[in-house]
Amino acid sequence: MKTLPTLREKKRYIAFEINSQKTINRQELIREISNSIISLFGDKGASEINPSLMSFEGRFGILRCAREKTNETRAGLACINNIHGILVSIHVLGISGTIKGATEKFIQQSLVKESEPEKG
Amino acid sequence: MSQFDSKFYDFFTHPDSLEPMAALAKKYGYSGIVVTNLKANEGIILPDDFSIYKGVEIQAKPSRVREEIKKHRDSNLISTVRGGEEDINRAAVESEGLDILLQPSEFNNVLAKAASDNSIAIGFNLGLLIRLRGDARVRELKNMRIILKHARKYKLKMILTGDSGSIYDLRSPREMVALSSLFGMTPFEAIDSMSATPESILRRKSPDYIKEGIEII
Repeated sequence: MKTLPTLREKKRYIAFEINSQKTINRQELIREISNSIISLFGDKGASEINPSLMSFEGRFGILRCAREKTNETRAGLACINNIHGILVSIHVLGISGTIKGATEKFIQQSLVKESEPEKG
Repeated sequence: MSQFDSKFYDFFTHPDSLEPMAALAKKYGYSGIVVTNLKANEGIILPDDFSIYKGVEIQAKPSRVREEIKKHRDSNLISTVRGGEEDINRAAVESEGLDILLQPSEFNNVLAKAASDNSIAIGFNLGLLIRLRGDARVRELKNMRIILKHARKYKLKMILTGDSGSIYDLRSPREMVALSSLFGMTPFEAIDSMSATPESILRRKSPDYIKEGIEII
């Protein structure tokens, strides 16, 4: 059933880039993100943040969270240091209100930025 | 946000390989890092507008710390003591010439007053929050809250650092602000401790500097 617009949960989409020794798969990343957030904020905090991974393809990804909790989510992502012994770090590229915005504004732009120095 | 336009520095790193570290730090928006285990740095290509400063980590027994600090006092190295028990913290804050005391445990008003007299900055080691889990992290967060309370009361300079040993330990300034909010630091204080305080330390280390408030122009 459709919920009223005023009762809908307000959300933000966090575009991030992952920097790792080896490529890691989606399942491992989801588990590590929820582990990190639960260990930092507890079950109550994690339920308020309500994280869910929208898309991830080895390097870039988009994570959904509650609108008021972007700073907490950022801290949770920053605390991820290794996944099954593989060293990783997650760098937040930007935060947007829509998936489209997050993709166009941050992920595509950072790809463009990388290809530019090679041309010039 | 315009408050992220200032120059950021990470004042305590010991990377295993310098070049990737410098490139990544530049990408994350840092203007410079201090490397404590720097050997010869000839032949390393640095990105534009990015500088690497030499630092030294003073590791000694509590009874020898004072002499070690005195040795580095007049050099332009940025000296750091990794804090710990009462006696090493006490020796560090009471000797003039030290720049940073990193993450002292059991911080108290006596140490804070001495640090304020000798203008020693207190470092928060956010790397511990990244690497530790569970009880150990709870202890460090509790410790950081105590340090922050004293630092506010005695108007101490604060430094945020990642204590990064590899490129996977480095975090961008915005992430550092989010991490510092975990123990109650405001974004304004966090940004100050990554840009204003490091700049004041660098100014103090420059050859033109004579004494607090006196400078060759």
